[in-house]
Amino acid sequence: MKMNRVTSWMFLLAAVSMVTLPVHALAKEYKLGLSLAITGPTSDAGNPYSKGVEDYFQFVNDTKMLGEDTINCTIRDDQYNNDITKRNFEDFLDQGIVFYLNYSTGSTLALKKDFEEEKMPVIPASFHAGNLVDSNYIFLPIASYSAQAIGLAEYVVKNHKEGTPKVAMFIHPSAFGRGPVEDLQKAVGAGLKMEIVEVVEHGKDLDNTAMLQRLVSKGVQYVISQTVQSPVATMLKDASSLGLVAKSFGEAGKITFLGCHYTGGNDLVALAGPAAESFYWTTSYIVTNEPSPGATAQLDLAKKYNRDEKAANSHNYANGMMVAQVATEVIKRCKAKGKEVTKENLYEELQAMNGDKAFSPGTTVGPVTYSKTDHAGVDSLQLYIVKGGVFKSTGTPFVPEYTKKI
Amino acid sequence: MAYLFQLIISGVVVGSIYALSALGFVLIYKSSRVLNIAHGQIIATGAFITYALTVWAGIPIYISFPISMVLTFFLAMSVERIFLRRLIGEPIISVIMVTIGLMSILDGLIYLTPFGTENFSFPPFLPTTPIAFAGVSISWTQMVGVIVTFTMIGAFSWFFKKSTLGISMRAVSDDQLASMSIGISVPKVFGLAWAMAGLSAAAAGGIIGNITGLNFDTLHAFGIVVFPVVILGGLDSILGAVVAGIIMGLIQQFASGYLDGNWGLNGTGEVMPYIILLIILLFKPHGLFGIHEIERV
Amino acid sequence: MSANRWLATGNYFTSYREEQRIFFTSLDRTAMGLLLAVLFAWPFFLELDNKYMLVIDNILVAVIAVMGLNLVTGFAGLISIGHAAFVGIGAYTVASFSRMLGENHLLLSHGWPVMIILAGCMGAVFGALVGLPALRLKHLYLAIATLSFQMIFQWTINFMNFFNQGQTISVTRVTWVTGQVSRSQHYMFWYYALLVVIVLCGFGVRNLLRTRYGRCLVAVRDNDRAADAMGMHPGFTKVYAFALAGFLAGVAGALHAYLYRGVGVESFTLHHSISYLAMAIVGGLGTLHGSFWGPLAIKLLDLQVEQLSEWVGAHVTAATNLATALRPLSFGLVIVLFLMFEPRGIANWWRIARSYVKLWPFRY
Repeated sequence: MKMNRVTSWMFLLAAVSMVTLPVHALAKEYKLGLSLAITGPTSDAGNPYSKGVEDYFQFVNDTKMLGEDTINCTIRDDQYNNDITKRNFEDFLDQGIVFYLNYSTGSTLALKKDFEEEKMPVIPASFHAGNLVDSNYIFLPIASYSAQAIGLAEYVVKNHKEGTPKVAMFIHPSAFGRGPVEDLQKAVGAGLKMEIVEVVEHGKDLDNTAMLQRLVSKGVQYVISQTVQSPVATMLKDASSLGLVAKSFGEAGKITFLGCHYTGGNDLVALAGPAAESFYWTTSYIVTNEPSPGATAQLDLAKKYNRDEKAANSHNYANGMMVAQVATEVIKRCKAKGKEVTKENLYEELQAMNGDKAFSPGTTVGPVTYSKTDHAGVDSLQLYIVKGGVFKSTGTPFVPEYTKKI
Repeated sequence: MAYLFQLIISGVVVGSIYALSALGFVLIYKSSRVLNIAHGQIIATGAFITYALTVWAGIPIYISFPISMVLTFFLAMSVERIFLRRLIGEPIISVIMVTIGLMSILDGLIYLTPFGTENFSFPPFLPTTPIAFAGVSISWTQMVGVIVTFTMIGAFSWFFKKSTLGISMRAVSDDQLASMSIGISVPKVFGLAWAMAGLSAAAAGGIIGNITGLNFDTLHAFGIVVFPVVILGGLDSILGAVVAGIIMGLIQQFASGYLDGNWGLNGTGEVMPYIILLIILLFKPHGLFGIHEIERV
Repeated sequence: MSANRWLATGNYFTSYREEQRIFFTSLDRTAMGLLLAVLFAWPFFLELDNKYMLVIDNILVAVIAVMGLNLVTGFAGLISIGHAAFVGIGAYTVASFSRMLGENHLLLSHGWPVMIILAGCMGAVFGALVGLPALRLKHLYLAIATLSFQMIFQWTINFMNFFNQGQTISVTRVTWVTGQVSRSQHYMFWYYALLVVIVLCGFGVRNLLRTRYGRCLVAVRDNDRAADAMGMHPGFTKVYAFALAGFLAGVAGALHAYLYRGVGVESFTLHHSISYLAMAIVGGLGTLHGSFWGPLAIKLLDLQVEQLSEWVGAHVTAATNLATALRPLSFGLVIVLFLMFEPRGIANWWRIARSYVKLWPFRY
């Protein structure tokens, strides 16, 4: 009797699994991993970034964008600690991920060799040009910091009125900040007509008055920043209280402030307040205060998953969302070709993302293009300027010329 | 020449803000021999409370600033009551560790609020044109910062010199057992020391927050920045904190003003205080104004 | 000595020599032997994911570092808030050889045991240098001197081109008798290497503490003037404690470099120094086995909390803030609760458990 009951249970189990297994076999789950700083240093960028990634993959699953298939992206907080990033990456590998999203410059450089050995396609949130050196599997989502700085420098050269523009750089004291310095110097060597007067590495400064006065006395008219928002905000506040901020671009005797991706965005306005006025910022992402299909998509996504205003309008939310869009797109293309979704195939698909196969996510100002030799996604940059407390685009998207000449 | 004066003025201004941040540190150490590593978090909390009151509750900053100081006063007092009261008499390292744990807890609590990961700035309430004199300029925010600093330091000095409570606090810092025997409640004194530290931390937080904007990373870093200041001044001297704060501000300004960019150096303002600190400590092991303890075998 | 070499119900020492033995009873010796056997043998029976192997290796590296910290802070009573910098010195020794000789030089890939010892010596040299202020400084002032060293270390690495300005300097895979250690064997290989180093260091430290040099440390901690009166040189002892701690930290650093196959300044910041201190305290200061408990407890706690916060994030919708806040919150709470209720650390639980077993069936 007892034996019978066990066997009948077994049968039932077998029957159930026979019914359900094929369904499972049809609907595949693709595993992805993201390790980033949701707490700890730079969490002001990491937090909205993670929300963007999370929401977009949720959206993919909810709207059945991949048919019955789903994306399961594990998001881990590494507190900006490389050792934890490595642990998370090993964990993701054990889980069998097909695509990996990384965050900081430090951890991307530290794990570069692992990516090579594992042949794992990776998109980090760091646009450090050094990520691509000796590496085949790292893809930058947008133009590198170096390209951004060079783009700003080219804009300065083009719009400067008399003589050679004198430029200073204001950078973060780390690999992240120093990245573009050398490349910009190379661009100057390659014929970009400007003079880099000084490179300032900032600390936890409470007062930049002396620094600004020194720059002005040396005839500096432009400051290109490559750091995070908070130090830029302090500098802008000091500059505006000294009356040193140029009202129009390149105003004589004053300083025009410009900055790369992580110096700008709504966070800068939040920190610097009115002092942020007429700050020039370049990135490849759209901003939500200017209507565009991408902006609508971004705001709708945030609304759908109950994100607050700040997260919804953050350029880092767009950043995370765009990375997730690219990942989804390659999976989609891989499926469309009837290929199995593996890291090797995704890697190939990513490298084939060019020409008429370029991908326009809408959240960026240009299409995402990758090829064997080009691992920087969106090549075009957009210049924004703060007017009335919001970033407004000025001019059309452009591609820096000197990046190829160095 | 104007550049030199500017460096001096900026150094003094920055230094006095350091002094104000260091003050809370010294107050706690002076009475209870606790090195409070979580001080930066308390500074940040003070700044955030001020912001919440000013912007979210719409209270004018002249009123919200003192209110936040009072709130932080009680907050720090309860921190002492909950976490540190039990540890009276434990070895010094346990107490340091508790403040490290406290730092983590406060971090966690702040991450529960939007302040942990978002950036804010105070609405400007002072004139934006700086006070300029002979090519040297200083912004109104900084000026107010200096005034608040010196008022608070003056008030604390008076408190310790003249008031009964202040004298009993000094007695406790001198000899706990003896002060207990003459009827001073040592736990109460410790609580009060923490509360006063919270008060000064909130003031420092408000000022720093006005200068840099409210970013948690930037604000809590000041807990570490003040280390060289307090050690240089001597851990238990208020006057030392002021003098050392200003010295450190000057060193930083001069280092970044004259060293950076020359001889391939950069970012020296960050490390110079520590180098100078090591050198000074070799000659004056108890800092500039610290009390030289006489040990008995 | 009791008649029974296996079970002792109390202390029967008749000479100081007996009190200083490593194993008091044969049972202790056997238990230790068994424990080591299990530690060496378990990977043959149980296969773990790379993630957990990495966690285990990471704990073992921390054990070596904390052993060093325990010598200087626990036994010699000198608070060090710059221990991660010493670990960093070890790691950067390996890294600078990698920079100078080229990444795949034989010395690095084949001569890695030499490199590890070299890194240890480098750590010792810097330890002694940083310990020099101990000749004049005391208590918190000394602690801040170590903090200064931490800051100067970070700045130097960040600043100098030779150290790649703090960016990752990669370190080669090592070669063992079986050939180059491949990626799949990497964590297992280093598990064994770390285990051997820990056993050597553990016995080394245990033996050191039995000699006059070890007891000298404790004497100086407890009362340096009395120690002085008894003919020890407190200043020298302190410097030497720092050198020893520096040596172990350097070894840990070199192992860290090889394990992670790269050295970047971000692994040796003030934050890490504070974590080492936390591990030493949670484990139990001034005990050797505390150095094992501390890293184990803290690293596992971190892992548990990570899972907990993930679970919270998955079950409470739109509560990412809560889930992320949980991590620092619980970490802090554990440290604080430990200090409030068990300031002598986990080592004390171990002591209580031992004496309970030893005296059983009588109540403790």
